[in-house]
Amino acid sequence: MGLKKLFLRMAAIGLGIGLMTSAALAANLRVLAWDGYADPDWVKDFTAATGVGVDVVFIGSDDEIWAKIKGSEGQDFDVFAVNTAQLQRYIKADLVSPIDVTKLANQKEVLPRFRDLTAVSGVTKDGKVYGIPFCFDSIGLIYDTDKVKPAPTSMSVLWDPAYKGKVLAYDNGEHNFSFTALTLGYKDPFNLNEEQIAAVKAKLVELKRNVLSFYTTADEAQQIYQNNDVALIWANYGQQQVKALQKIGAHVAYVNPSEGALAWLDNWVISKGVRDNAAAEKWIDFMLSKKVSGELSERTGFGNTMTETGSAAATTSWSGSTMSRTR
Amino acid sequence: MSGTGTIPLAERRWSLLVTVLAFALPVVFVLVPLAIFLGYSFFSVDQGTIVHTLSLGNYVRFFTDPIFLPVFWNTIVLCLSVAAICILLAYPAAYFLTTLKGRWRYALLMLLLVPLLMSYVIKIYAIRSILGLNGFLNKALVGLGILQEPSTLFVFNMNAILLTLTLLLIPFAILPIFLSLERIPQVLLRASDDLGASGLQTFLRITLPLSLPGVASAASFVFVLAIGDFLTPQMVGGISGFTFGRILYSQFGTAYNWPFGAALSVALAVVVIAAILVGERFGRNRGTAI
Repeated sequence: MGLKKLFLRMAAIGLGIGLMTSAALAANLRVLAWDGYADPDWVKDFTAATGVGVDVVFIGSDDEIWAKIKGSEGQDFDVFAVNTAQLQRYIKADLVSPIDVTKLANQKEVLPRFRDLTAVSGVTKDGKVYGIPFCFDSIGLIYDTDKVKPAPTSMSVLWDPAYKGKVLAYDNGEHNFSFTALTLGYKDPFNLNEEQIAAVKAKLVELKRNVLSFYTTADEAQQIYQNNDVALIWANYGQQQVKALQKIGAHVAYVNPSEGALAWLDNWVISKGVRDNAAAEKWIDFMLSKKVSGELSERTGFGNTMTETGSAAATTSWSGSTMSRTR
Repeated sequence: MSGTGTIPLAERRWSLLVTVLAFALPVVFVLVPLAIFLGYSFFSVDQGTIVHTLSLGNYVRFFTDPIFLPVFWNTIVLCLSVAAICILLAYPAAYFLTTLKGRWRYALLMLLLVPLLMSYVIKIYAIRSILGLNGFLNKALVGLGILQEPSTLFVFNMNAILLTLTLLLIPFAILPIFLSLERIPQVLLRASDDLGASGLQTFLRITLPLSLPGVASAASFVFVLAIGDFLTPQMVGGISGFTFGRILYSQFGTAYNWPFGAALSVALAVVVIAAILVGERFGRNRGTAI
């Protein structure tokens, strides 16, 4: 009997704690973002300024965002970051809500080319705005200046047998297809016919034989670089990765390949399952602020939509013909 | 606590509630999810959306596509090897523990189990650094003159998965073996000694057979944990260390094909259940034979 009582008491306490934590979580804004988009000090400032608590979940690939958002039909997150190439897919699947731009005071202050959102390819549909652009970069190639000579100009160096087992690739099917299509000289890497897809696939199988391993986050690439003989890194995180590697004293440099680089423009979007729309708008507006945008560029090396930055990315136009649309 | 008649009634009600709870927990948290899983394995995916019509397509694909079955078998062989190596390393360790007296025995046991308190991911990160070309292992081997130059044999291949899993799972092998060794009555060993058996004979005829149930459960523990792991192969496997867990993981992430992933999980579950049953049966048979 004593045991039963104890068991029941424990169950009651467990239930109580469960209810309390879910009540506490219910008040928080649920954010899904890439590393570098929701640093703890910004989250703290945001909560201090608005009184809204934030739970951040970080992701490592576009596919992961889709799996998380689609898997819960948008119910698990309020706000998330997604690039312009991906956004249309979410709009089509009815996973995102239109955004009332008039609620975002800072959107009026953005750089001229981001002011008219209908001119930014991919963020609107039927006159409604679904994404607020906030940062961008290219996807280039990082090479170890001691090991790779002369300096490479094209991604084709990744296939060079001289670097067998010294190439770090990124774990994402879509980007690998796009950049390989560019390397093969296809004009539109985002719309491939059957024959081209087969050619890209064969080329990627060849690339695999040159690869040491695949990484998902910038940190992971850095750790593998430190402990192994890595000469080339396919740099999904562009400037952010270069910065981090240089910080640990690596002799690396970054190139945008001559055949055209992939580039991306990330947006804040509000999910279909948003619980508190006003809080979500506050988050986006806060992230757009000159302070946060400036700090984001400073820390990651990405370009932002509020202040002009001198990064390599700023000189690459993300809206150019091949330099667009995917991350 | 006043009327004597009300207590049995309340008590009965409580005990009914407890019984319902006791059955409800495994049903709600184990059986129902498993049933949902099984259900999903008969669905399919079209253009990124799950189609809820029943078909055997996923199972047909698993058995006919030339990719999946070889990886499946290789993974089973890999995990059997992990289990075997873990046992070979854990048995002497556990045996040594039982020869220690009093406090030392448990202090050392705790020490061996401390790694279980650490985050799994952090352990894999650390092991990956150790196995790398510029890592500790290579430096040590070159420093000792065993290798001429650092080798790439230890990381981003099957060896790496084998080494890492073995290292991570050894505590799970030590514990059951230690417990079964500890349970062997000392009188049996003394009797064997009295009857003139040598130390080796006592070990082979008394200790080893009586500890086999522990070995069996250790092996099935390690095997099951190893075969379900996708993180270790993903992080240290590179391009050649491809395991079934990685395929499964990609179905739920990158590929967004939950139904096929569910079907693959069912295949895995069959192996896991078989391993557990074999482990338990073997263990029990020996146990009752005492």
